[in-house]
Amino acid sequence: MKRAALLLLDHAVVVLFAGVLLIFGFLAPGFLSWASLGNLLIQSSPTAILAVGMTFVLMVAGVDLSVGAAMAVAAAVAGKMMLGGWSMPLALGAMLLIGTACGLINGLLVTRLKIAAFIATLGTLWLGRGCALWITETRAMNLPDSFLHLGSSRLFGIPLPGIVCAMVLAAGHFLLERTPFGRQLRATGHSAEAAAKAGINVRRLLTIAYVICGLCAALGGILALAQLGAVSPKFGLNREFAAIAAAVLGGTSLFGGRGSVFPGSLLGAALIQSVENGLVAINANPYLYPVVTSAVIFLAVLLDTLRQRFRAGMTRQIFQETESEANSAAVT
Amino acid sequence: MGALLEIQNLTKAFHGVPVLRGVSFKIQPGGITGLAGGNGAGKSTLMNLVGGNLRPDSGVMRLDGQVYEPANSAAAARAGISFVHQELNLFPNLTLAENLFLTDFPTRGFWISRSALSRQAAVLLAKVGLAYPPDLPLERLTPGERQLVEIAKALHGRPNLIILDEPTTSLSPPECERLFKLVRALQAEGCAFVFISHALGDVLRLCDHILVLRDGAVADQGAAKDFNIARLVTSMAGREVRQLFPERAERTVNAEVLLEVRGINQPGVVRDISFTLRRGEILGLSGLMGAGRTELAGLLFGLTPHRSGEIFLNGKKLRGGPRPRIRAGMALLTESRGEDGICAGASVNDNILLATLPAHARGPLGWLSSARLKPVVSDVSESVHLQTKRQGGEPIRRLSGGNQQKAVLARWLLAKPQVLILDEPTRGIDAAAKFEIYQLILALAAAGTGVILISSEQEELLALSDRILVMSRGRLSGEFVRPDFNPELLLRAALAHHHSNPEVPA
Amino acid sequence: MIQRLVSSEFFVLALCVLLLAGLGPFTPGLLSAENLTNVLAAMLPLLLVAAGQTVVLIGGGIDLSATAIIAFTSVTGAKIMTLSGGWMPGHPAAVPVAAGVMLLAGFLIGLANGIAIAWLRMSAFIVTMTSLMAVSGLTVWATESKNIADLPAGFLALGQRPPSALAIAGGSLILIHVLLTKSIFGRWLHAIGHNARTARVSGVPVPAVTALSYAVSGLSAGAAAILLTGRLETGSPVLGQTMMLDIIGAAVIGGSSLFGGRGNVLWTVSGVLFLTLLDNALNLRGLSHFVIMMIKGAVILLAAGLDTLRRSGQTE
Repeated sequence: MKRAALLLLDHAVVVLFAGVLLIFGFLAPGFLSWASLGNLLIQSSPTAILAVGMTFVLMVAGVDLSVGAAMAVAAAVAGKMMLGGWSMPLALGAMLLIGTACGLINGLLVTRLKIAAFIATLGTLWLGRGCALWITETRAMNLPDSFLHLGSSRLFGIPLPGIVCAMVLAAGHFLLERTPFGRQLRATGHSAEAAAKAGINVRRLLTIAYVICGLCAALGGILALAQLGAVSPKFGLNREFAAIAAAVLGGTSLFGGRGSVFPGSLLGAALIQSVENGLVAINANPYLYPVVTSAVIFLAVLLDTLRQRFRAGMTRQIFQETESEANSAAVT
Repeated sequence: MGALLEIQNLTKAFHGVPVLRGVSFKIQPGGITGLAGGNGAGKSTLMNLVGGNLRPDSGVMRLDGQVYEPANSAAAARAGISFVHQELNLFPNLTLAENLFLTDFPTRGFWISRSALSRQAAVLLAKVGLAYPPDLPLERLTPGERQLVEIAKALHGRPNLIILDEPTTSLSPPECERLFKLVRALQAEGCAFVFISHALGDVLRLCDHILVLRDGAVADQGAAKDFNIARLVTSMAGREVRQLFPERAERTVNAEVLLEVRGINQPGVVRDISFTLRRGEILGLSGLMGAGRTELAGLLFGLTPHRSGEIFLNGKKLRGGPRPRIRAGMALLTESRGEDGICAGASVNDNILLATLPAHARGPLGWLSSARLKPVVSDVSESVHLQTKRQGGEPIRRLSGGNQQKAVLARWLLAKPQVLILDEPTRGIDAAAKFEIYQLILALAAAGTGVILISSEQEELLALSDRILVMSRGRLSGEFVRPDFNPELLLRAALAHHHSNPEVPA
Repeated sequence: MIQRLVSSEFFVLALCVLLLAGLGPFTPGLLSAENLTNVLAAMLPLLLVAAGQTVVLIGGGIDLSATAIIAFTSVTGAKIMTLSGGWMPGHPAAVPVAAGVMLLAGFLIGLANGIAIAWLRMSAFIVTMTSLMAVSGLTVWATESKNIADLPAGFLALGQRPPSALAIAGGSLILIHVLLTKSIFGRWLHAIGHNARTARVSGVPVPAVTALSYAVSGLSAGAAAILLTGRLETGSPVLGQTMMLDIIGAAVIGGSSLFGGRGNVLWTVSGVLFLTLLDNALNLRGLSHFVIMMIKGAVILLAAGLDTLRRSGQTE
């Protein structure tokens, strides 16, 4: 009984994901078709990529509220460039550069000026949003069709966004799990002070984490643009919440030191997207989407919290009782 | 053979306050130097200079005859000097191998070479006698085993000198023995040690040379065989100190039962615990690290739940968390002051008042009058000889460990507890403050408070307790009544339920 | 010297004076009595929410849901008393009932946040973030994103007539300030913000105090909604949506810590004053709203950077 409960809690996100798929599959026939599921993965790829970047920042007990704004600035500049006759590769390059720069600014604010990550990125969120509105002159820009083709083109029969997403996930995963950088990042997330004492260059490490997050914001922005085909003044609005939620659903702790890129971030993003797609499939009132999504996120985090308390209760044991000890206790 | 490390006239000041005033000494290759001194004597500063964490204001250090000026701890490590800090610098969310090689992973191109990592880690772990797989998460290890991991880490740089800062504070006696054996084995291989400790008996037993610091200067030094506890204490204090423990007035413990614990069980933590505590009694609780003493204290105080059994205070059954138990007359001074003993950033006074605010609150919204609280704090601060700079207005983290502990004691004195549980009350505190805390404990008991004293320092238990209970693997395994205290029997009882060898913890 | 200046309690007030003195001569109308009265009236709602946020920050938490609570209570109150299709149109008790329900709703949403954080021990960031999404989503859904107008004159007067608005805001502020500095709740909350484990061991009812701090934040958001709704003369489902930066920014500029244990409502007042004056001056100079956004973002960063300086000054 206890085992079953623990197994269920340990895989709460998977269980929830399956539940969401089943419920919407039941309510809206066709939701569970291969095409629709493939679509789900493609649509969740921007959020998944943002969540990968966010995982790096959350891993060191930071947070980046400015990813949506970074997306918007990068997209605004790219839009202007393309409408001004620049080629697409140049515009994409500019987006990546801007994302990296945004991440670098956040990283420097946090490490050099020692501003709390929450406030630093809240400030850059507003700076970035204002900047994007200024560049776009608060008007929507339709991008050339080449951008939409980017979203629908295929390589070896796999949609390009899927390939990009898989590559980012793989790169993020290996960086975190298999490189000295990734392990030092995890250590720093547990205690920055201890990491510094151990001889880790904490400032550089944190800065790189924010740069990765900014770069992922730009990549996610490119995929999102390829799906929309237009830059609107609200592009990327509140995306930071989706990214944080996806990372947290994937098992990453807001307090640092715990989390994973794969399968965590992908699973979290897919869960959020499946709720939205399901609501579309059953023709729910669009105003209700955020309500249902937030309820699912809340539930998933609640289950995770319960799991941790459950686990903590078990590890509070300081020695393993032998069989006979346990039996004698049962008799008394 | 010349000295391994020669130090001449080192001085260091912080903000104009001199901490080291011209210290000179030598360390021989393969020697074990004990470094003793009260808090603030300059031990840590001196070793931080040697370990490269700080730079001296003046003076010269020579390593193997060469001038030695480490820019940071990494440079010191390259020169062959490793520093094992009192606060272990390990990461429970990483594996043993990752902890050992955190800043020096064996890599193949961009990636960590996992096979090389676990091979090299296994070698280091074997050196310190830890038979665990290198990919075991560190969080599964006991504090004593973690200390060994830290030493394994220090060995990685093939050091000629290892500085051990208070390595035994969180170790049980068998774990201490294991550590000392390891130190001697490494010494035989030619590695020198500096051993910093408040546990003077350990210093005498382990070291072959002793250096005593007082007020930033060398107060005494010589071969360990010429030292005894009395000489050490005298040199540390700078005056003749007659005793470590206050005189214990002969008295009979009141027969009235204050606290009664009946059949407490919590799987994996404690098993079948029953005992009583009488008014005015000091009940020592002995046992190895991990025997369940701290856990029992938390359970009695309502910090963690227990599955079965009952606790009665003055005949009334205790329920709920710490709040109702404080109201019923219980108090707990916790083991780790920084984690759950103090609010480090809050003022000393706020820390002292924290537990007794409800008694001073007036009206439905609980108004507090600072005019009324002021004399309350200053009275109790005086009674525990608390030394503060701004009448207790400064953050408590700026006080020394001893003064912080006195402040926490003051907090509980204000609550006028009938049962006071003290979990390692003198850990990491200098001898003078220890003495004062012992006096306080005895005075409280004389005034009728029942005291449960948990301590890993056996002398402390033997000197203060009226009765000692021993715990082993969550059970009570022995009871000794004054004056029939026998250190050997105590240790045997502490080992009572340890029949099998430790395995890989689950 | 600089550190002494920056760590002074009056630093932010000095900045306000500097702002007025620096921009006043070049910004026609900034120093006029009419404008300053306007600034005062405009800052009152922000003052209320930011004070509530300060309470939560002291306990080491954060409340991202305050703006959603403002929108929700605004719409609820408006629905009760609106003269076109309300639940109590023209009823003499409509205004007090509506105001009471607004406060109660704010309190209850805050309490719900607090319960999830204190007893279920979920992360404050996640709880209040999902609460922000859910509550604002519900508000927009229930109103289909439409404003509710035709509010009774008696209610509008609450938020528009300076004496009554000032009385509501000033009274609440003084109450919160005294609660934080002179009551057992305040002491307990500070202790929790410093170290919740120590607080628990010392017999502080940690869950109850934590939950209450979020309830106070929700309550103050409800009170802010009364003033804001009155000023705008409509119940709006997007009311306060863009206030988040101002709320947290004002508290942080004032000197409250995001890490708990340090905060003060009076500091927050000066933070609010500064941000409102800045906003007003920039508006008067005819800058577009996105430029103002950028400047505010930069100012928050600057203030936070100064705060680092201030903290390092205190630890010396």
